[in-house]
Amino acid sequence: MNAAIIGQMAISGALMGLVYALIAYGFQLTYATSKSINFGQGELVMVSAFFSLTLTNLGLSQHWGLGLSYGLMVPGGLIFGAIMGLVVERAGVRLALEQKSEGWILLSIILGLFFFSAAENIWGRDDRPFPTPIPEEPFHVLGLAIGPREVAVAVGVLGIMGLIELLKRKTLLGKAFEAVSADRDAAELMGISATRTVMLSYGLSGSVAALAGILVSPITTVGPTMASAIILKAFSVAVVAGLDSGFGVVLVGMFLGALESLASFYLGSGWREAPGLVLLILALALRPTGVFGKATIRKV
Amino acid sequence: MLLVEDLHAGYGASEVLTGTTLAVKPGTVVALIGANGAGKTTTMRAISGGIHPTKGRVVLDGKEVQGLDASAIARLGLAHSPEGRKVFGPLSVEDNLLLGAYSRLPRFLGYRAKASADLDRVYDLFPKLRERSGQAAGTLSGGEQQMLAIGRALMARPKVMLLDEPSMGLAPVIVQEVFRTISRLKAEGITLLLVEQFAKSALEVADYAYVMERGRIAVEGTPAELSRNERVIAAYLG
Repeated sequence: MNAAIIGQMAISGALMGLVYALIAYGFQLTYATSKSINFGQGELVMVSAFFSLTLTNLGLSQHWGLGLSYGLMVPGGLIFGAIMGLVVERAGVRLALEQKSEGWILLSIILGLFFFSAAENIWGRDDRPFPTPIPEEPFHVLGLAIGPREVAVAVGVLGIMGLIELLKRKTLLGKAFEAVSADRDAAELMGISATRTVMLSYGLSGSVAALAGILVSPITTVGPTMASAIILKAFSVAVVAGLDSGFGVVLVGMFLGALESLASFYLGSGWREAPGLVLLILALALRPTGVFGKATIRKV
Repeated sequence: MLLVEDLHAGYGASEVLTGTTLAVKPGTVVALIGANGAGKTTTMRAISGGIHPTKGRVVLDGKEVQGLDASAIARLGLAHSPEGRKVFGPLSVEDNLLLGAYSRLPRFLGYRAKASADLDRVYDLFPKLRERSGQAAGTLSGGEQQMLAIGRALMARPKVMLLDEPSMGLAPVIVQEVFRTISRLKAEGITLLLVEQFAKSALEVADYAYVMERGRIAVEGTPAELSRNERVIAAYLG
């Protein structure tokens, strides 16, 4: 019985952990091309979730039915996320990178705060339910109860990551992406615009954040602070896994999700956030390049 | 084909180029020689857009390109094989070559088929690269990486190619191979600006040469003329 509970907790936690993995993957995308990340990524998750909620409600008000409204909302939300990612790149990150400064850290935080205030003004401060056609009622496999919404998270996360990895490996555009991350100046000499590649990475990273919001909202509800805890754990996952391994973030994300779920069950729900922080401190102390990261020395 | 006029450029406040002027005619190999720190690599970088010139003109095939981004200049037909080779280490040899032709190829699918004739040409020139086509470029030896860097530049079918210090850090046998390759490309009619520390080998293969000193051209002429010039002999050919 005990083993069954542990298994149950671990699996549903691990599936939720994939959301951390997806957001961490978004950090990796922009870090690869520009050595920068959006510190306001949590707010991007949140505004995209709100926007997607509005789209869904718009569909419902037209009596399109929940299935169709939800289905049409997903691409709309992803495009919105991409646009927001491009806004962060153009209005914040690029200004700092052109000056070769680390100002993108502060600029991306400020843009995040701006998005936060905008969301509070547009959508209000209350947490709202996110309608979804995916049923809540769990189904049973090998004695484990698995929620369809958690499965949807897994399918969505692994689906989009697989798609982006396929794009990177099989298309010339993807190889150009890799070339910019390997050597930006040399890539420019091939006729590859580094600026456009960085924009592409921010657009993709924004879409990925939007999908994270869309997938997690039906489980957690939508509100201005919905992503603040998630984003901290996505950072932990990115740091522990390293900033260059997509496979690594999936493993670490699932591991952290499982650990959290077990901690809150056995130690009490107040301990839910502890494993992420412990993992983060251990990683920073023992292996700053990440468990799956290649050792790199940053030139100053 | 390539014209550089009164080029001034540098890094931050320090000006390295103080009025460089040179020309590369179509189908010729031009050598740029000079001591370390004379500004040879800076000239190359200012031509290809790695640094923006503060004054002067760079004319590529009739178009002024100074001030454009490196990627825009590359798309106009300039291929720069940089000092230190700069191959994409984590990518395969073949991917490196395909990226050399980036501006001419479709972005998503079908690029491999469209580039196959160019790939064959480079693989015929450097059979070692064909053997190692699937290997990560970072695992190649220095000589092989140099071949890859030259092959990658050729993939662009450039109007003008810049080749910076191809012999740097290579064993003498490999250096000979590099120069044999340059002779072969010259026979095929390539337009090439070559920066080289081995002045003697560079003059053997070049049609015309410039000697750089402290940011500008000090002496120029055909290799035969330079080989008779006392100053050049004393400084670079002795």
